Amino acid sequence: MPLQPVNPLREGIANRLSPEPCTLVIFGATGDLTHRKLIPALYNLAAEGALPPAISIIGFARREKTSEQFRKELEESTRKFSRTPLNEELWTQFASSITYHQSPFDQAEGYSTLAKQMEEQDRNRGTGGNRLYYLAVAPDQFPVILSHLRESGLSTAAQGSWARVIVEKPFGKDLKSAQLLNNLVSEVFPERDTYRIDHYLGKETAQNIMVMRFANSIFESLWDSNHISHVQITAAEPLGVEGRAGYYDTSGAMRDMVQNHLLQLLTLTAMEPPTSLSADAVRDEKVKVLRSLRPLRGDDVFKHVVRAQYTAGLINGQPVPGYREAEGVPKDSTTETYVALQVNIDNWRWAGVPFFIRTAKRMPKGGTEIAITFKSVPRVLFNQSGEGLDENVLVIRIQPDEGVSLRMSAKMPGSSLRIEPVKMDFHYGTSFGKATPEAYERLLLDAMSGDATLFARRDEVEEAWSFVDGIEEAWKTRSDDLAFHTAGSWGPAEAAELAARHGVTWRRM
Amino acid sequence: MSFVPGIPVPIGGIDRELGRLWEESGDTKTRASLINLAIYNEKPGSLERNTEIIRGIAGEHAMRAILIQADPNAEGTSAEAWITMHCYLRGSQGGSVCSEQISFELAGTAARSLQSVVFSHLDSDLPLCLWWQADFHPPIDGKLWRWVDRLLFDSRHWKNPKEQFDLIRQIAGLAEARTVLCDLNWARSLPVRQALAAIFDAPGTLPELDRLEKMELDHAPGSRTTALLLVGWIADRLGWSLSKSSPTPEFRDRHGKTIGVELKEAEGASISRMHLSSETASFNLLRESGSDLYVTTAQGSEIATTSRMVRAPREETREILLAELSRGGRHPLYTKAVKAVEGLWE
Repeated sequence: MPLQPVNPLREGIANRLSPEPCTLVIFGATGDLTHRKLIPALYNLAAEGALPPAISIIGFARREKTSEQFRKELEESTRKFSRTPLNEELWTQFASSITYHQSPFDQAEGYSTLAKQMEEQDRNRGTGGNRLYYLAVAPDQFPVILSHLRESGLSTAAQGSWARVIVEKPFGKDLKSAQLLNNLVSEVFPERDTYRIDHYLGKETAQNIMVMRFANSIFESLWDSNHISHVQITAAEPLGVEGRAGYYDTSGAMRDMVQNHLLQLLTLTAMEPPTSLSADAVRDEKVKVLRSLRPLRGDDVFKHVVRAQYTAGLINGQPVPGYREAEGVPKDSTTETYVALQVNIDNWRWAGVPFFIRTAKRMPKGGTEIAITFKSVPRVLFNQSGEGLDENVLVIRIQPDEGVSLRMSAKMPGSSLRIEPVKMDFHYGTSFGKATPEAYERLLLDAMSGDATLFARRDEVEEAWSFVDGIEEAWKTRSDDLAFHTAGSWGPAEAAELAARHGVTWRRM
Repeated sequence: MSFVPGIPVPIGGIDRELGRLWEESGDTKTRASLINLAIYNEKPGSLERNTEIIRGIAGEHAMRAILIQADPNAEGTSAEAWITMHCYLRGSQGGSVCSEQISFELAGTAARSLQSVVFSHLDSDLPLCLWWQADFHPPIDGKLWRWVDRLLFDSRHWKNPKEQFDLIRQIAGLAEARTVLCDLNWARSLPVRQALAAIFDAPGTLPELDRLEKMELDHAPGSRTTALLLVGWIADRLGWSLSKSSPTPEFRDRHGKTIGVELKEAEGASISRMHLSSETASFNLLRESGSDLYVTTAQGSEIATTSRMVRAPREETREILLAELSRGGRHPLYTKAVKAVEGLWE
């Protein structure tokens, strides 16, 4: 009997798909993302033997430099940003797979020489004609790169090979631009070969949301409007715009964080169990949540959404300027650096359960978490007054200090009946001491393996924009709702009032 | 005993004394535990060595450790116990995370009724991993073994592998498939298996597996069983059957072709070199002495020449144990690999 076409030595070695030989072309190779995230992630994968056996990495960018210079720069940045120390021998071996391709993005010749270079790599390195294009560039460069990929024939894989594209966020700035971009991408790459990256989905704790919900019977049986009072999803950071003012002022917290990361966390929290763990089964359920979001439009926006900007204040005792004082920010900017919203999911599971989402810069501390607050116990026995007992709260901490905690009530020792909240706490770092891999490592490997589960699908992105657009449109009609809060505080009074209308207090993280 | 593995405590008061230890340690310490790890050893001085191992791994794999140094052949009975904690700083708040360790020195009757010592000090609802650092002796007593979730042992140290593997099979049978067999020697070979498997991910290399004619393997003195497990793994995966065991082993592949296997002792890593060859291609895996890298190469008339370098983990017990505990799961290929080279265990 002839051997099966699968590698028989792979069985039992790793419970994931193997990445396939390929050429990875990074557009925008001289940028921050490449230096801080992509190359360190690829280096760590190489060191662990997790990269495909044959790989070629081509950096495509406009600046003049030789491959040698490029590798030298990458070596320095990898030494700085890699999660494991740089080993000279390993780096030398890994770096031998990296070359630099200088060309403006809008010149056809650059793509024809790229094609020749890739064919040469196929012959020399055995990359098998597989292509993975990573668009690590600003979105305004997507159209020109994509159209050149199509016109040069590079987006079409040879028989038996594949050509995929990874697209970095922001994926559009509203529904219309996202649709245009999606149309553009879909003219060049089919949806199955399009990988829209949201690095939050590559985080271990984001992946653990599904494990926690669907691998533990105690949680899923309580995961509905019969038992849950409300949900709070928070992403706070103490930093300001830090040199990103040009981008941030045209984006704001809603587009920068809510449309992608926070709505992704919302979908993972609220989705129904998928029929399987396949990419489309999971994404089908996520997109149903987005479709079930009650739209916020017109006056409703001002009732359910609070936007604000930070003013000068103190972070860790150090004075920091206000948003409008930051370099590159217009003095009259109305861009929100804080946003809090209350959303409803109109389906059977979540009817009547308010979801509160909040994200901000210049908060007292950084962190991302999902807090599920359960309903109070009936007003009998220990809760006759209805005021004495804290609700159970299940907190899933996405970052930092990844873990899960559960608040519950317990009797204090003593002859009198005094009930106090206690917290059961699971810290990843405590139980699993070893460092978790970077999100980009997982996501790059998945793209090379053809597993799109942790990438956003077209309809997910568009549904999210559709929801956010309603809010952005309302905001365009007036700006007197913009609130202000001092840097280092937990947000404006208006946000507290928004929560208070539902009998809720924002969590102090 | 010159080394003292913690605070001496009466056997009947271990839980009470552990509670007191926690009270005295203040509220900056957090107890953490993923498993119960019981370690059994019959050699004097083992408590010191194993305390060192637990200290080395508790920071990355929180546990309740139960160390047992036993002398089952001693006259009469005696039992002594000690408790301690291994704490590691975590986070910026100055708090630390601690694993508990209970150590026993047992002799005579106490050493022979092991299950009563182990079971009465388990952290409930957490899996029991028993690391057996001695030879297995017949008869196999189900009272202890059927409650073990993971049985760890290291076949590298066995003087009579055939007898020991037979006993292991009995234990696995007793536990009605509950116990996962974890040979640290199998875990030791994992990086080699990973690196070797990766060679055959390269395009065009897969058909060469069906054409292999020769395998050479260099192993460190005392690591013959590691080498044999690797041979067994390849033989099982490729459908080879052992046709001759001496003077040099030979296998027949599924087409009846003979494959010669040569094992050689060489200083260095437990497996420092593997060479597989067919008429048209050759595949090498090399770990230079003192190097922390594996270099693999593939070359042949019908395949592209490739060379890769991957990080090779240190071969210390701590690293191997941690890798095994972190990996979890069953090892279905292990028993198949053992069986594939059954005739070579003598």
